[in-house]
Amino acid sequence: MTDFRVPGRGRVDHDRPVKFRFDGETIHGLSGDTVASALLAQGRHLMGRSFKYHRPRGPVAAGSEEPNALIGTSRGRGRFEPNTRATVQEIFPGLKATSQNKYPSLKFDIGAVNDRAYMLFSAGFYYKTFMWPRSFWDRVYEPFIRAAAGLGVSPDKVDPDHYASRNLHTDVLVVGAGPAGLAAARTAAEAGLRVTLVDENAEVGGTLLSEPQAMIGGQAAWDWVAAELAALEALGVRVMTRTTAIGYYHQNMVGLCQKLTDHLETPNPDMPRERLWRVRASQVVLAQGALEKPLVFDGNDRPGVMLAGSAQTFLNRYGVRVGDRAVVVTSHDSAWYAAFDLADAGTRIAAIVDTRVEPRPDLMAEAAARRIKVLAGHTVSGTAGRLRVKSVRVNRVSGGTVGFGRQIDCDCLLMSGGWTPSLHLFSHTKGSLKWNETQNTFLPDHVTEACQIAGAGRGLWGIGAALNDGAAMGAAAARALGREAEVGTTDVGNDRPGTGTSHTELPTDRSAARARAFVDFQNDVTAKDLRLAVREGMRSIEHVKRYTTNGMATDQGKMSNINGLNIAADALGKPAPQVGLTTFRPPYTPTTFGAFAGYHRGTHFEATRKTPIDGWAEENGAVFEPVSQWRRAWYFPRKGESMDDAVLRECRTTRESVGMFDASTLGKIEVVGPDAVEFMNRMYTNPWTKLQPGRARYGLLLGDDGFIRDDGVIGRLSDDRFHVTTTTGGAARVLNMMEDYLQTEWPDLKVWLTSTTEQWATIALNGPNARKLLEPFVEGLDISPEAFPHMAVGECTVAGIPARLFRVSFTGELGFEVNIPARHGRALWETLFAAGQAFDICTYGTETMHVLRAEKGYIIVGQDTDGTVTPQDAGIGWAIGKAKPDFVGKRALQRPDLVAEGRKQLVGLLTADGATRLEEGAQIVLDPKQPVPMKMVGHVTSSYRSVAAGRPIALALLEGGHARMGETVHIPMPHGVVAATVTGTVFHDPEGARLKL
Amino acid sequence: MTVLPTNFVPEPLATSAAATVTLLAPTARFSLRVWPEDRARLSAALTLELPVTIGQRARGTAPDGTEALCVGPDEWILVAPDGAGPAIEAACGDAYCDAPHSLVALPDREVSVRIEGPKAAELLTLGCPRDLDALIAGQGRRTVFDGVSVILWRDAAQEFRLDVWRSFAPHVLALLETGCRELALD
Repeated sequence: MTDFRVPGRGRVDHDRPVKFRFDGETIHGLSGDTVASALLAQGRHLMGRSFKYHRPRGPVAAGSEEPNALIGTSRGRGRFEPNTRATVQEIFPGLKATSQNKYPSLKFDIGAVNDRAYMLFSAGFYYKTFMWPRSFWDRVYEPFIRAAAGLGVSPDKVDPDHYASRNLHTDVLVVGAGPAGLAAARTAAEAGLRVTLVDENAEVGGTLLSEPQAMIGGQAAWDWVAAELAALEALGVRVMTRTTAIGYYHQNMVGLCQKLTDHLETPNPDMPRERLWRVRASQVVLAQGALEKPLVFDGNDRPGVMLAGSAQTFLNRYGVRVGDRAVVVTSHDSAWYAAFDLADAGTRIAAIVDTRVEPRPDLMAEAAARRIKVLAGHTVSGTAGRLRVKSVRVNRVSGGTVGFGRQIDCDCLLMSGGWTPSLHLFSHTKGSLKWNETQNTFLPDHVTEACQIAGAGRGLWGIGAALNDGAAMGAAAARALGREAEVGTTDVGNDRPGTGTSHTELPTDRSAARARAFVDFQNDVTAKDLRLAVREGMRSIEHVKRYTTNGMATDQGKMSNINGLNIAADALGKPAPQVGLTTFRPPYTPTTFGAFAGYHRGTHFEATRKTPIDGWAEENGAVFEPVSQWRRAWYFPRKGESMDDAVLRECRTTRESVGMFDASTLGKIEVVGPDAVEFMNRMYTNPWTKLQPGRARYGLLLGDDGFIRDDGVIGRLSDDRFHVTTTTGGAARVLNMMEDYLQTEWPDLKVWLTSTTEQWATIALNGPNARKLLEPFVEGLDISPEAFPHMAVGECTVAGIPARLFRVSFTGELGFEVNIPARHGRALWETLFAAGQAFDICTYGTETMHVLRAEKGYIIVGQDTDGTVTPQDAGIGWAIGKAKPDFVGKRALQRPDLVAEGRKQLVGLLTADGATRLEEGAQIVLDPKQPVPMKMVGHVTSSYRSVAAGRPIALALLEGGHARMGETVHIPMPHGVVAATVTGTVFHDPEGARLKL
Repeated sequence: MTVLPTNFVPEPLATSAAATVTLLAPTARFSLRVWPEDRARLSAALTLELPVTIGQRARGTAPDGTEALCVGPDEWILVAPDGAGPAIEAACGDAYCDAPHSLVALPDREVSVRIEGPKAAELLTLGCPRDLDALIAGQGRRTVFDGVSVILWRDAAQEFRLDVWRSFAPHVLALLETGCRELALD
């Protein structure tokens, strides 16, 4: 194989060879190579097959804008990544790269039959070709299309890598470390600001890495880059390479993705693969430069057809000639320099084809000096060659007439349609663009963020112009932040500024309808597709984009957008600015899911809150369930017990003797101040004025719509201090709602709210033996039935630990809730559990708690209510203080709809057969024989097997339920209709005698 | 994955060349709420000048005296040595009639860790979106770390205390431990 490496040339290390594998073959590259440059050094352009037509493709660019040379990379087990750009992936020993979209091989691919049938695969062909029969779409057409098209193969293993993220505040963030970015960073840093400079490449320098001939302030370009980098580091600038600014969000927040290990042979396993930076910058300088535009002509996608500037990069940065015999086709001056550099490095330039009639005389002279043939006023009308371009067809254009084509042999064709400022990040900010007539492109106009655009990114061409503009924009950023900034002018020698013209498709003497002139290489969109879209009625550029897929997906139109716009505008007969540009969306380049997820995976996916007693539950075999962010013990199965067995046993033991339950997750709010009681009166439905210190009451909280929001037992500790409990899931919401009212409606009230949820561990003891178990441990409080009746609260010590003790019951049994400082939670739990052995105590979880409360008809907010249930609906109208002047929701409760007959009301249901347990969520109908769809009159909210009732029980919300006592309703289920009788909601101890033990 | 002491026994949790994270022993801790017009009376009761700017701290004159951090226009966090709680409650209680306020003891709501070492501040950037350069030594903030509400005290350039609600502590500490390892590699 021919060696295209130029000895001593480029920034690769010629003394450090690196071996890697491509499609199973060993490739010899150099340290500093990308996969693309290493393959090109061996004369290989063919690197992949295209998306739709499976056409052979090679790299067309040298950077992250590359649309063609997408490869799979494997860095070891589970570390496969599809669609990596071969022009970005740095090589290292052991890298395994594979080409994509080919079967059985890259050189012979069966899918290429699509290419022969290309007339069928025009824009929108899915919609037109696969219309009938409709039933075929889901099972035949769509799977076929998905299998045939698509880009690469998705990884199927769990990603073994880990990812990181950081927050960063910086005064000035400079995106892009080319001449403009380096100068901007230097100026801002010298003004004393915190500066961060990022670049997606492995090293800083940008275009200077491809233009070593430039002399900057008397220094050779690469020496200047090294000196600047050292100066920046000395100034404390944070310089990050391999770091892509992927998105520019509101208020100058910029997302950066830093690649840390993909280029390393043996990365430290503790090192994250990538790190996502969330940067808040006071000022952003966008110095992203410009991207070269392809020319649109038949066969412009063959391997060997490449952007001229990219060929120049491969030569100057990687020391690789992209061919032995090149033809250059251009409408811009810049490609001439690529031709000269290549000619000087030994590549024969067969011709420079310039679409312009009169190229610049100095360029003509330089070409003549190198004996390069110049074809001015010419066009390219086609290329030939199967896996590599072997010739190009060139025609003279005069007076709008395209002459006969003649063939010029070549092994590479370098094209340039001019340059497009990289507007992606600016576009993310919704900054507006303005059409520039002379450059035939959009430039940034109105800026919406604290942002400066420097250099080629705003249409300035040439190193000197970009560099001096960068310094000026760095100074502008500094001044915007109130700093003085000096801006000098740097002289740049051997600069290569230039201009050009713009085209739609290049003129041709052949049928445009048969031309395979690609606009979007990655999505296989041709000029013909765009014109077809317009003919078929697409008028908006957004519709054209979606119909053709031009500029979509991972590429985000880096190469295709302006060409696509120019062609669509031409087809529409409108000027380009009237047609407008589609929106570039983040991320700028494809970004891994891992980078976005960061640390949030596996056990760290979300905070899992655990109580102080959780560890004991885990050690004692509890099964857990998630309740909001908490994990709670669900039930405590003994050996061999099913869930049903365990729950029935826990229920029985608690009703017969005593059970203990970890209630620590209950929300707790301390309400303190001289106006505490007034605040409670206004927030809750219940009256609080007459509640004596030392007593507790069930509290019901409504929204201003009159619907139940939360509930809980509330103890009055002193005249000015309440201990409020909320539901587990409602804790934060209730505190927010209270603060909202306090701060916006009643700022005059002298009362303050403090969350004490986690201050306390709460142990609930329930059952006829609860007092016998607890009493010996209590000091400082008489808990006899007379002194400490149901709904009492007091402060004492329990087993020597200071405690707030409630006598309260959510089971219908004699019950206590012991609140102790959280650090003592587990110790007291263990003490009580040990002492409870004398009573055959059981620990129980949330399931048993649910059953026991349902047997008593106690509601669970959010289970038996759904945000549309009033206190009357739930059968707890008694909790409303009728004499109170106001409370949150009082007025809403008088609305006609809320007092109407026939609202859904909470009732009990007993299945007629006494054995079937209803399914929670099941719908209820009155007449099971009515035609489908039946009228649904409610649903089952809670349903359990009940030991106490000796049969399954259920709660349900039923239309007009309170007036249907004793009626039979029906619950249609997949296996048949279940009949049930409507009852009250209390299934156990309706007199409440057991509470009073 | 770090195994955190479920009983929260004070001990070093993670250490590397970058930073060390140590679980701290419990202290007395209160949330104090009082309107501006009554602040002076409470300052007198606590023998410290309750700071009025959010983020500012003040300390009582006694050695190991009560420290107050202003976290809201009418809100302070008070921290004092373990065992000092009853005296603070008594002192404020005496002032209640003249200067109504809310003093709620919270010694067990949060656990605290010390984060120190050459990259302590950088370690916090893993989860804290604030500009830590603006949190100067001797100040504190109520902020978030990895989505969890925390109180962050900067005691020196590279020494912080972080208070986090007990049930969130394992989540927060796990990331700090991961970060200690990660930062040592840079």
